[in-house]
Formats: sequence, structure tokens, C-alpha cells
Amino acid sequence: MIEMGTVGAGLHASLTRPDVSAQVFGSGLIGLREGLEAGIVVMVLVAFLVKTQRRDALKWVWLGVAAAVAMTIGMFLVIQYGAYNVSGLAAEAVAGVASLVAVAIVTSMVLWMRKAAATISGDLRAGMSRALETGAPAVVMLSFLAVGREGVETALFMVGYAEADTAWPLLGLLAGVAVAVGIAWGMYAGAVRINLAKFFRYTGVFLVVVAAGILSYGIGALQTVGWLPMSGGRAFDISSWFNWSAWYGEVFQGVFNITPTPTVLQLVCWLAYLAVVLTLFLKPVRSAVPHSQPQAPVLLNERSAT
Amino acid sequence: MTSSRFFASTLAAILAVVGAGCTAKESTPADGGKASGTEVTVNATDTECAPSTSEGAPGSTTFVVTNNGAKVTEFYVYGKDDRVLAEVENISPGLRRNLVVEFNEPGTYRLACKPGMVGDGIRTDFTVKAPA
Repeated sequence: MIEMGTVGAGLHASLTRPDVSAQVFGSGLIGLREGLEAGIVVMVLVAFLVKTQRRDALKWVWLGVAAAVAMTIGMFLVIQYGAYNVSGLAAEAVAGVASLVAVAIVTSMVLWMRKAAATISGDLRAGMSRALETGAPAVVMLSFLAVGREGVETALFMVGYAEADTAWPLLGLLAGVAVAVGIAWGMYAGAVRINLAKFFRYTGVFLVVVAAGILSYGIGALQTVGWLPMSGGRAFDISSWFNWSAWYGEVFQGVFNITPTPTVLQLVCWLAYLAVVLTLFLKPVRSAVPHSQPQAPVLLNERSAT
Repeated sequence: MTSSRFFASTLAAILAVVGAGCTAKESTPADGGKASGTEVTVNATDTECAPSTSEGAPGSTTFVVTNNGAKVTEFYVYGKDDRVLAEVENISPGLRRNLVVEFNEPGTYRLACKPGMVGDGIRTDFTVKAPA
């Protein structure tokens, strides 16, 4: 069809191009998914800090996010204009390791939230302050990893946008990111409205489900790299159930970090994480906290089970 | 503080991974530079994964993958036992990405385009022949 060899870029332009709407929409979906993958954890972190009246700690979140964005841009400039290239597999390895570390931090945060919820009417603010005195690096790290774990991959695909013949794909990408930010904002606005006890419960469960997805994502990435075994062993393939590359499929994948074609290892770890961490999170807190806490009826139900 | 030490060591580990993945750029024909290996163009659509040739030689080969479909795609090169040799993700419709692969030994490799970025994708053989 096309001859192999040294003919330059002109050759490629002669192929039939997808029309403008396909270019904008396709790139928009990438922006949407990547934006959600990066934004959801940050959204919960911000909601959590605002809800517990620790707006002063938001600077740590934005520091982590800014560092991740700076790293991505730096990486892009090096790849685009420098003398070095980063392979897709290296990007995959970084995303995998960063995802696993992010899961570890989210897990400890969720389990801490459970304790915080139990002492909710008491010294939450004091407890939160103490946690943040030692936890500021963890907050910075989590927001950095949440946004930056796909930074290398993002830097790599930006090269494609920089070399595109038209600006349509880039416009689509930015529009997709804007929609992702809108969705994350909407979830944030909804989350901060619910009462504090329910907030801890719901966001905790939501975070566990998201973290299970990030774990599965990280494992999948490391399997692709070859650092974890059984990359070929698929548990199932439900990619034909519905159109995963439609916008709703991408939103689903972006929020929960799941794939319609998980490997056996991914599925087993996803289920095991959900089972173990959800059980730990929902298990009633046995603590020295007195049983009379009229301000937190939801938690009273929980404690009556003990 | 232990958490900041944890932070620093994780960051160092990540940088080490990136560092290990860094390779000096080889100029490719698509960059307008001098050819240092062979170049294979790949026409990827929603239903097709068509390389300009199905044969190559050991050494550095640059796959220039253009997504002419309507779905976002990704391109993989597999070695023995479906081991991923190289990959490029998130190729948006209308965009072109380069993938440099080092074929160390002759043999049959598999190329795959994955429109929609799910599943096993559309696969095709790629044979690397030893120079005669």
C-alpha cells in the first residue's frame, strides 16, 4: 500500500484523514478520561479538607498538583526538544509504581477517616490538625501522584499533538479536560453539602472503590512492562457489552480506573482489595469513645451492632 | 520525619525508573533526519491494522503509526509469549506517533492496533529476517 523508506511527512498527509468531528471527539475522550483519572482523588482530598475546615491545608494539595503539572511539562519539553526519548513501557512502569504508592496512601487515609468519623463530635479538628502536622508530606505526595502518575504518558502523547497538522485534536483534548474538571467540580459541590458523618462514610466507600481501580490499573501496567507475571491471562472480556469508547464508557473508566478486559491478577487483586478494605472501613470502631453521641445518628446505628 | 523520607525515596525510585527508560533519540526519517534504521508506516483504522510491510531486519525499526479511524487507538509490538516489546497509547484520530523498536533477533513478532484501547486488538504478523 505505502512504500517503506525515507519519504517524509508529506506521505502521511496523503492518507484519508478522519473528519474534524472525529478528531475533536476522539481527543476529547482522552482528555476526559485522563482528566478524571487525575482529578477524582484530588477532588475527594479537597472536599475532605474543606469539610473538616482545614482550608489552610489546601496549599499542600495545590503544591502537589503544581509539581505534577510542572513535571509533565518538563518531561514533554525534554522529549520534544531534548536529546532523549522515553519509551511507552517506561511510562507504563512509572504509572504502575506511582499508582501502587497512591493506593497505599489512600488506604491509610481511608482507614484514618474511619476513626475520625467515630470521634466526629469530639476533637475532630484537633485530630485533623495533628494528622496534618505530620501528614502534610502525605497530602503533597498523594496529590502529586494522583495527577502525576500518568504524567510521563501524558508528556509522550503531547508530542503527537505538537506535531499534528491541525489544532483540532488539541482543542478536543482541552475540551475533554474541561469537561472532566466540570464533572469533578460537580461531585465536589455535591459532596460538601452532605452532613459530616455521612460524608466520611460515602466518600470513604467511594475512595475505596476508586483505590481498588487504581490498584488494578497499576497491576495491569506492571504486567504490561513484564514486572508482574501473567499479562496474557484475561479474566473476561466484556468490551462488547456496551461501547466503552463512547463518552459514558470513558467517564466510567476514568472515575473507577477499570478496564472491560482485566487480567486474572487484576481482577483478583481488585476484588481482594475491595473485600478487605471495605470490611475494615465499615467495621464498627471499637474505641474508648462514649456511646452517647446524639450529633451523629448514622454512627450510632453502626455502633449498635457491636 | 518518616513520611517525608518515604516521599523522597519514592520520588527517587520513580525518577530512577524514568531514567532507566530514557534512551538517546535516534533520528528517524519522520523527523526529517537521516535514517538510522528502517521505517514502517502503519495505517490504523477502526477495523484495520495495516503496516506498509510485514517484514523487517534485525536492529532498530521505527513504526510510524497514523490513526485514520474515528476511535482512539494504541499500538503494540509483541515478542515471544505475548511479551510486550514496545507500545504507544492514546493515539487520537488524525494523529501520528512514532514507536522505535529494537529487534534483537530474527523471528516472528506480532503487531496489534487496539481501536478503543480495549481487548486484544487487531493483530498481524511481522517477520524479522536475518540478513542474507
